[in-house]
Amino acid sequence: MNHLILKSLILAGLCLPAAQAFDLGQELRNAARDLKKPGAASSLGGYSETEEVAIGRQIAGNLLGASPLVPDKKLQKYVNNVGRWVASQSERADLEWHFGVIESNDINAFAAPGGYIFMTRGLYKQLKDESELAGVLAHEIAHVIKKHHLKILQQSRMVDLGGKLLGKQAGGNDNIRNLIGSGAEIVSRSLDKGAEFEADRTGIVLAARAGYNAYGLPGVLQQIGHSSADDSSVALLFKTHPHPDERLAKLDDAMDSRFDGTGGKTLAQRLYKIR
Amino acid sequence: MQFKQMIIVAALLVSASAQAGESATTIKADSLKAKPFSDAKVIASLPVATRVEILKKEGGWYQVKSPQGSGWVRMLSLRRGEARTGSSGSELTGLASLASGRAGTGKVVATTGIRGLNEEELRAAQFDEKQVALAESYTTTRAEAQKFAASARLTPVQMNYLPEPGGSSK
Repeated sequence: MNHLILKSLILAGLCLPAAQAFDLGQELRNAARDLKKPGAASSLGGYSETEEVAIGRQIAGNLLGASPLVPDKKLQKYVNNVGRWVASQSERADLEWHFGVIESNDINAFAAPGGYIFMTRGLYKQLKDESELAGVLAHEIAHVIKKHHLKILQQSRMVDLGGKLLGKQAGGNDNIRNLIGSGAEIVSRSLDKGAEFEADRTGIVLAARAGYNAYGLPGVLQQIGHSSADDSSVALLFKTHPHPDERLAKLDDAMDSRFDGTGGKTLAQRLYKIR
Repeated sequence: MQFKQMIIVAALLVSASAQAGESATTIKADSLKAKPFSDAKVIASLPVATRVEILKKEGGWYQVKSPQGSGWVRMLSLRRGEARTGSSGSELTGLASLASGRAGTGKVVATTGIRGLNEEELRAAQFDEKQVALAESYTTTRAEAQKFAASARLTPVQMNYLPEPGGSSK
């Protein structure tokens, strides 16, 4: 098996132009060095958790530059409580998770590496109970624990950042800025469909583990699927995600009848009313 | 105590009515059940493309009125929001539009001071240190989250992740 992988790597190297082939070699060396560092990720060319958080913080700051937080401390605290409780059911329970609702009437939610998660006011207003909030946050938490966006960065920028990544500067970090591209564009990049379906499946389980009814996320997807595709409030969401109907069909296959007996709470009373 | 219960009942009625009367269509054949459980008594079988009216939602189930009678059907066997005509239909459209902040014409209602989030705006976004620091200040610790969960009697459930449908692990 290993032999096969090595073979395909060599083949891939042969097919690449010289400059890229060099970068691949560089990337492998970086990976080897990263693996020796404490707290280093185990995947090929993985970033350490500190690097991951620094990358996520830069993306979060850029996103907030486009749309600031809704100025409602109780709302933000509430969303952090629900989000952290759901994240506590994951294999990255001890990451310092941050959640927020941002000022936009668009219907969307975003995850940045390192545990920075935001949803728009427009999406929050669609929610009918706390299990739906938990379901939406759980989908984003799943992107973070599965490192979906981090993998995109690794694929698109095979550059040697090395120790330079973490030189902290006021107003953001140049090296990280180079890595993530301009502004918060990374959050509008599409992941492959498989990653979205995986985040849906994983999110369902995280919400159910937290004691919520597992159908919170499907409920929101049904509500969104209801919107027409030419509605500009869902334009970006529909462009970067498979259609909700397709996601619901996949979830139906994956969930089967497993969740019929789990019950779980919906907590409509506790859902914080946004002003 | 009784007053409190009345408030809860009233709130439940309000939340139920948010979806009541909305139409939906079955996207696959499924059975109509007497109760919202998979092992409940089967009332009738609904073929694919049956139009139903949603009466109520409960977890992963909708209570519906169908040509075959009233009962419960799985949420994921239905697609919501079929286009409807007539006066009641336009009322429903109005309600749905209010919820999503758009007008029935499909055009976005201009809301002062609140921006959209398109790719251009995201690309042009500038880092805002104050806002990130503010976001981080709202962070909940694991212990706080535990307390928050306990206050609504949310208890952790052990469960494995779901395999990919049709994947090798199934």
